[in-house]
Amino acid sequence: MLALSAVVNGILYGGVLALLVLGLNLMFGVVQIIHFFYGQLLMVGLYLIYVFTIWCHIPLILSCLLTVGVLLLINTLVHVLVVKRLLTADLINQFLALASVMLILENLCQAIFGTDIKGIPINLPVMNIGELYFTTSNLIAFVGSLVFAALFYIFLNKTYIGLAIRAVAQDKEVAGFMGINIYNIYIVTMALGGGLVGIVAAFFTPIYSVYPHFGGSFTLISFIIVVLGGMGNLLGGFIAAFIIGVITILVSTFSNTEIGLIVSYLIFLFVILIRPQGILGAKVSR
Amino acid sequence: MLTIEKISASYGQIRILHDISMEVLKGETAVLVGPNGAGKTTLLKVISGALRPNSGMILFDNQRIDGKASHEVAEMGISLVPEGGRIFPEFTVFENLRVGSYCQRARNRLRENIDEVFGLFPILENRRSQVAGSLSGGERQMLAIARSLMSQPKLIMFDEPSSGLAPKIVVDVFEFIKKIKERGYSILLVEQNVKKSIQLTDHTHLIESGRLQFVGSREDFIRNPQIKKAYLGI
Repeated sequence: MLALSAVVNGILYGGVLALLVLGLNLMFGVVQIIHFFYGQLLMVGLYLIYVFTIWCHIPLILSCLLTVGVLLLINTLVHVLVVKRLLTADLINQFLALASVMLILENLCQAIFGTDIKGIPINLPVMNIGELYFTTSNLIAFVGSLVFAALFYIFLNKTYIGLAIRAVAQDKEVAGFMGINIYNIYIVTMALGGGLVGIVAAFFTPIYSVYPHFGGSFTLISFIIVVLGGMGNLLGGFIAAFIIGVITILVSTFSNTEIGLIVSYLIFLFVILIRPQGILGAKVSR
Repeated sequence: MLTIEKISASYGQIRILHDISMEVLKGETAVLVGPNGAGKTTLLKVISGALRPNSGMILFDNQRIDGKASHEVAEMGISLVPEGGRIFPEFTVFENLRVGSYCQRARNRLRENIDEVFGLFPILENRRSQVAGSLSGGERQMLAIARSLMSQPKLIMFDEPSSGLAPKIVVDVFEFIKKIKERGYSILLVEQNVKKSIQLTDHTHLIESGRLQFVGSREDFIRNPQIKKAYLGI
């Protein structure tokens, strides 16, 4: 029963991870940047919700909406100011520039908020179906993430902009020949990425408290999931998120959180050694 | 319709095109032939906006297009069928056609354009839900041509449509280009296969090492002794 509970909670966790990595995968596939400050953006999102709700006394839902908007803007700004100029530069330049953004965000938050943990006290009940226990906040996060993931899927597949984004990801020169403004698509993609992180931050607010180094572990787990699923492959990332989610929670339940993470990382290493392109990745000849 | 005036272009330090000047008149099929590395694809890249020229001017419908980005050139009505087709491998046949009508001009006529294109290429209609990456070489070329037609272009440019295809398929591809020509489209056909492209040409241009060596009608081209020897194997 404990195992089943763990698996169910793992699936709930995996669902949120799936939405989280959607943005990362999209940005890698379309803009082809490795978004090193991804976890830090999530951290900023949580801090923003805290600031809006606790310091500005704005209702929680509104704070979340505002945060989504602000993160959207931040990511777009970083694109226009930093990423755009580095698209044709050496990868090491990209890495250093984005890693700098990561450090700036972390230290900025530490300067403003100190090292104390900040959280919004939201008490949601623990639910159970028979012997199966899970928290309401996890359930809301799971359902919400799936809803947004589904909306995003519809957007990508049924709209002209979604079509354009997927075209740029495959062959940006030819996408240009079709009349697609590649530069605008980059901006839309970066904005979407920022917005998606904002949505995940909203769902994380009742679950996690935030501190300046909160970002690091989420960047790591996001990257692991994305690589495991095949970089740029949205379905792969979706599946991999659930695999990592279930394994992490399952192992943590029977030992502790650290061992749970270690086992996840080991499984990731194992898969990558056998199949470097990830579960659904294509064999790349870059 | 398309006027190219003294276009020079390079890739980095390497100069490919030297002072190219030529014209494509409305409704005609202009053919550009030449050996490998002569600069044919480079010229198409400059016209379509993928490469900036060093100097010179390109006019389309009396508007300057040199230096414009590719999506702007596409929106003005120039469509390029790239070498090898370069269809989007992860899209279905239908999605490839849909993205072909991305231009504002063509978006509202998606239904009609799809019907017209399926009329020309019935095989594509059979395979409309098939992932494009699994099509054969000839089918991909067909899809690429169909995709170009979806944007309701004023000028269609073909970059070596016979490239990499079996001889029997090459015959089919040129049959389609002929049908497109008969519908009145203006065409700029760039090819290494001189024999096949000669049959469709109104005006022939020969480019060698980045310079135009010959411009003339089909008859003049065939009768020219050096060309006969070097390109027609006579």
